[in-house]
Formats: sequence, C-alpha cells, structure tokens
Amino acid sequence: MTEPHDPDPNSSQDQLTLLGPIKLALNPILGIGHTILELIGLISVALSASPLLLNKKRRRIFLSLFFRQIYNTGVKALYINGAVAVLIGAVLISRLFEYLPQQVFNEQFGYFFMVIVFRELGPLISGIILIARSATAVTAEIGYLRLRREFQVLNGLGISPVFLFLLPVFFAFPLSLLLMFIYFDLVVFLSSYVVIWISDPSANFLVLLLAILDQISLNEIAINAVKALLGGMMIGVISIHFGAKVEDSYSEVSDAISNSTTTQLMVFFVINILLSLLAYTQ
Amino acid sequence: MNDSLKIQSLRLEYPDKLLFDDINLTVAAGSLVVFETNVLDGATSLLKGIAGMLNNIQGQVWLGDSNLLTLGAHERATRVGFVYEEQGLISLYNVFQNIALPLEFHTALNPNQMESRVLATLDSLSIAPSLLEQQPHELNDVQTRLVNLARALVIDPQLLLIDELEGGMPDDMIDRTIAMLIDRGKTLGSITLMTSSHERILREADRVLKIDDKQLRETEF
Repeated sequence: MTEPHDPDPNSSQDQLTLLGPIKLALNPILGIGHTILELIGLISVALSASPLLLNKKRRRIFLSLFFRQIYNTGVKALYINGAVAVLIGAVLISRLFEYLPQQVFNEQFGYFFMVIVFRELGPLISGIILIARSATAVTAEIGYLRLRREFQVLNGLGISPVFLFLLPVFFAFPLSLLLMFIYFDLVVFLSSYVVIWISDPSANFLVLLLAILDQISLNEIAINAVKALLGGMMIGVISIHFGAKVEDSYSEVSDAISNSTTTQLMVFFVINILLSLLAYTQ
Repeated sequence: MNDSLKIQSLRLEYPDKLLFDDINLTVAAGSLVVFETNVLDGATSLLKGIAGMLNNIQGQVWLGDSNLLTLGAHERATRVGFVYEEQGLISLYNVFQNIALPLEFHTALNPNQMESRVLATLDSLSIAPSLLEQQPHELNDVQTRLVNLARALVIDPQLLLIDELEGGMPDDMIDRTIAMLIDRGKTLGSITLMTSSHERILREADRVLKIDDKQLRETEF
C-alpha cells in the first residue's frame, strides 16, 4: 500500500516539524512582499497607460471621469474635513492660547501652527478622511464591478478597464488630498482665529496669518506636496488593487474593503512618518 | 462587409471540464445562424470564444482574412459585437453613454454624429429615446438586452454574437427584432450568430446547430 501524499504546504505534519512554524511565520511576510510587488505592478500599469491621455478623444473621456472623482473625493469631503478642522482649530490652538503666556504665544503661534497643524495634523487627518470616505467607496465600487463582470464587458468592447477605472483614481486621489490639506490648514487657522478673537478682541488677523506664513518655507511646502502626491497615489492604487481581487461573492467585497483600509492606513502612516523623519530630523 | 466566417478546430477546456472540442464551421456572409441551446451545453462559452473574449480557447476564428483570436482589441471591437443575456452594461454610465461607448473609443465621430448614430440605432430597435437617460439598474431584463443589442449594433459590426436574446420578450418584439437582424444581414452582408431555444427564432434562422457531445452538429428545424 502506498502512503498517501499530502500536497498541502501547511499540513498538520509540517506543523509538527520545525518547517511548520517557519512557514507559518514566513507566510505573512511573503504575502506582504507579494502585495508590494502587485502594487508596484499596478503603478507601472497606470504609468504606461498614461500616454493614452495624449489622444484628444481619450483625454475627454478621462477628464469627465477625473472630475467626477475629484468631485466625489475632494469636494464632497470638504464638509467633514472642514468640521474636523474647526474642532481642531477651536480646541487645540485656542487651548495653547489659554495656557501659554501671552508673549510666548504671540512669538511662537506661527511656529506651533506650522509644526502641529501644517506638518503633521493636516496631512494625517486629511489622509484618514480620504481613506474612510473615498477609498472605501472606490474599493467597493471596483469590487461590485468585478462581481457584475463589467471588466469582462469592457475588455469585450476593446476598452481597457485600466483607462476607465485606474487612471482617474490614480490622478484624482493625490490632487484631492493636496486640496484637502490646503483646505484643512485654512479652516484650522480661521477657526482658531475666531476663538482667539473671542478671548482677545485685539488679536490681529493679519499678524497671526503672517506669523504662520513666515514659518512655512519652500521645503515645508515640498514635503507636504510629496505627502499628498505619494500618499494619495498609494491610497488610490491600494483601493483598486483590493477591489480588483473580488471574484465571485459579495463577502469578498467586505473583505476587500477591510484589507484595503488596513493597508492604506499602514502605508499612509509610514509615508507620513518617514517623510517627516527625513525632512525634519536634522 | 462581405466576409465569411470560418471557425477551425475550436476547443475550450477548463481544468474540470471539456466544454467543446474540434469545432469547425463555415458561415457565409449575410447569414443568421442559431445555436440551439440546452442548459449548460457550452453555447454561451462558444459565442464568447468566437468573439475572442476567452483566454483559454484554442483554434482559429477567421473573419475574412483576420483571425479574431489574435486580432488587436481595437480592431476586434470594431468588427465584432456581443450581446449579453444578462447585465453586460457599464453601471458607471447611463443608457446613452453605454450605447455610445464603442463610438467614443473606436471612432473619430464627434458628439453630434455619435448622438445621431445612437438615435438611429434606437429607432431601428423601436426603443423609446426616453430610455437614454436611465441608469442600467433602472432597466428590466428585456430593456437591458435591447440596450446591449443597440450598443453592439451602433458600431456596425461584421459579426454579431447574441446570447439568448428572447427571454421575457413578447412574440411581436422577437419577430420585429429578428426581422431587423435578417434585413441587416441581407443589406450589409453581416453575419449573426445567436444562441436560442425559442421556436420563432429557430424557424427564421438560415442554419440551426447544436452542441452535442462536445461537437457542433447541424440540426433540421
């Protein structure tokens, strides 16, 4: 009688040997490596499809989808982005105003604003809002398109799904995130000014604004732009990647949203922290 | 547009099932050929295979002097139209945009010319223009198939592949649509391949074939 061969790499027999735990430990790492390679592949697909935009007619189709994405992602998010910014501005900056001696506050307001809001909170909170509001929607949309075999339909029509679904997100997410950064900083400043003004009606709007602008160097702007462009691009690509993994069942859509959101948060935090460390640790 | 269709040694096998093997068929220009269907007989896959929409298909499908299975996406999309039995529309777009999609991507027509072409196609299928602003999810099954058909026809393909058009259609609508397809074949020389089990359609076909034991066999109707 021949011994049955067990082809399962994670078989119980393996787990009893040294090989089992090693494989169990390696599998998640291999999975992450595989996902990173696929994301790089997706970015290169988007970049190689970009020359299609040189065609006038294709560009017209792209622009309608691009502006739809900007509207859904950047414009519709202004309400929640603004609400969070008002709270941050009113509570955080006005608290500083309360606790710090007047002279220190006057001298350091611009610096505090730049370090706390412009450098860190603005990008971080805008990114989280983009992930929670728009990226989940894109993952779900792509997942349902896959379930309904609409990618197959597009291929049958000789139309690349990359052009219709990947490119608009690939370009609209970074731009939306940049707009959200700017809007967030602006609303935080306005709301903090209002609270400061209530406490001290002599507080001068222009003086406070100039104090902030004086602190924002070209370097700061460049780092924020890189955070928006790189972060937005990665958030968009990750949404498409996980949405496109859906095959046959509705439960795969919720799995895709969950996996996509986790990965996006992780990647976005890493990008922010790395860029902050690289730029500001000297 | 007087190219004939020549299918040679077509074979489709999935890891767990051989759907058909060594399918050979020649269809003259202007013909209406119907594959009489049974449940899960592979006729829909045969249509998709002929259209070049399946990756794992083997063989050759010649339309004139072009092999559809190796033809580029753009050229294939301008010569072959496919009508899905269910769904098949892009939910991102309304009915007008769905029908105009092949024109947007594969022709140099301007928006006015595209609109005229779409309206003429709707008219040929007796579809009410009021449908144009609707979203795919607002359509019933019959409307969805008719819009699918309109989208396939709008680009004037040489080969039209239609999967089970008749479900839920009243008889007069079936008669009208088949008459239009026959007339189109005679006028333009285009070929229509359909899957169907409906007597009215089988009766009108130039030829009726059936997948039997993985092979395509001619049947009398």
